[in-house]
Amino acid sequence: MFQIDRMGRKPIYEQVIEQTELMIASGVLKPGDQLPSVRALSQMLSANPNTLQKAYAELERVGITASAPGNGRFIGKDAKALIQERMLDLLADVEHLSAKMHVAGIEKAQVIAAVEKGYAHNPKTVLQPEKGQST
Amino acid sequence: MIIANNVTKRFGDIVALDHLNCKIPDSCVYGLVGANGAGKSTFLRLASGVFQPDEGSIKMNQLPVFENSDIKKRSVFIADEFWSLPRADMKRMADLYAAAYDTYDYKKFHALAGEFGLPVDRPLNTFSKGMRRQAAIIHALSTGADVYFFDETFDGLDPVIRSLVKKKLYNEVFDRGATVIVTSHSLRELEDTCDQLALLYKGGIVMESDVNELKTSIFKMQVAFLDEYDKSKFEGLDIVSFSKLGSVATLIVRGDKAKYQKKLSAMEPLLLEMVPITLEEIFVYEMEALGYVFGKEEDEHETV
Repeated sequence: MFQIDRMGRKPIYEQVIEQTELMIASGVLKPGDQLPSVRALSQMLSANPNTLQKAYAELERVGITASAPGNGRFIGKDAKALIQERMLDLLADVEHLSAKMHVAGIEKAQVIAAVEKGYAHNPKTVLQPEKGQST
Repeated sequence: MIIANNVTKRFGDIVALDHLNCKIPDSCVYGLVGANGAGKSTFLRLASGVFQPDEGSIKMNQLPVFENSDIKKRSVFIADEFWSLPRADMKRMADLYAAAYDTYDYKKFHALAGEFGLPVDRPLNTFSKGMRRQAAIIHALSTGADVYFFDETFDGLDPVIRSLVKKKLYNEVFDRGATVIVTSHSLRELEDTCDQLALLYKGGIVMESDVNELKTSIFKMQVAFLDEYDKSKFEGLDIVSFSKLGSVATLIVRGDKAKYQKKLSAMEPLLLEMVPITLEEIFVYEMEALGYVFGKEEDEHETV
């Protein structure tokens, strides 16, 4: 389920968190779904269990997952809402970018067309892990 | 837990370790990096009880390691060159290991040899270098020890085997709380493998950190502004390194990425790019701060 990019700069820790959030946002993971155990994930990704443990702890800290002792970790009820909330913060970036486009003399219709195009994507295909810069 | 307290080790005039202090917690993968001759191997040999420190102490679970067979049974050293009895095969070496480690697990040994695809009754001197290394790792994993010392052992394994060895080690770490201490020159590899990292320089540890913290608390950014500017524009940022080429500045900064992102976006930059830093970059900057340029020291040795 996780696609770890080892050549990129992004630490595995962040990649696991990011991809879990994306999978929840797109509905691949639903509330109540169980996450793989640290041990299983460590074998799957050939990644340090302590690193994965920390990524899981972070997801739990922000309330995206909850763990039931002895039963594993599950996606929380409000996970999607939490992630959406955080995404709303990015609206400021959209605004900022639009302002820049405006200054540069790009037609409003073109910007809106780009937004339309973004929304036309199938949410499940946007899941590819973000590539880290290789400079 | 391994604690080194003011450890000094000399070989004649050479001071290999100079008042080294470190704490290696249980169940972690601890990476040790440093230039050639920084004292990595010496440290491993002290921690595994092969050498005795000239000054200071090195303790595992609060007990001195040197000449302490009970403690030494709890650790295993995998050297870059696997020593074996003349004409011995892996089975015979298993007996030798079992004589030293009463926790040696023959079942595990055979299972691992099968998984790695190594013949247990072929003389070891017919093995290739990489195969001998694998044999050493299989024996080590079968000892049931709590602490594994890998002295540049990963560097000579092919990617498939490396991944398999890592998976096996991660299981030991997760299931039994084993500790793995690795030295390597492949920072890229250590970055993915370890959770703790230490930088050795001239016989002392100059930096010790949690890898995730290191990677999330320090980052690189490229920024450009329309107007002329200099370093003073970034006042308030914890800058580790600053360089400017034309209108583009490259900064290495410590701190909260999201906060900096906000702060700098508000300054209306032409370009703002923040990328996580690689370990290699961190070490180059840290070493530069210490007055060391990678590769320089070796060159000097050659010209002497």
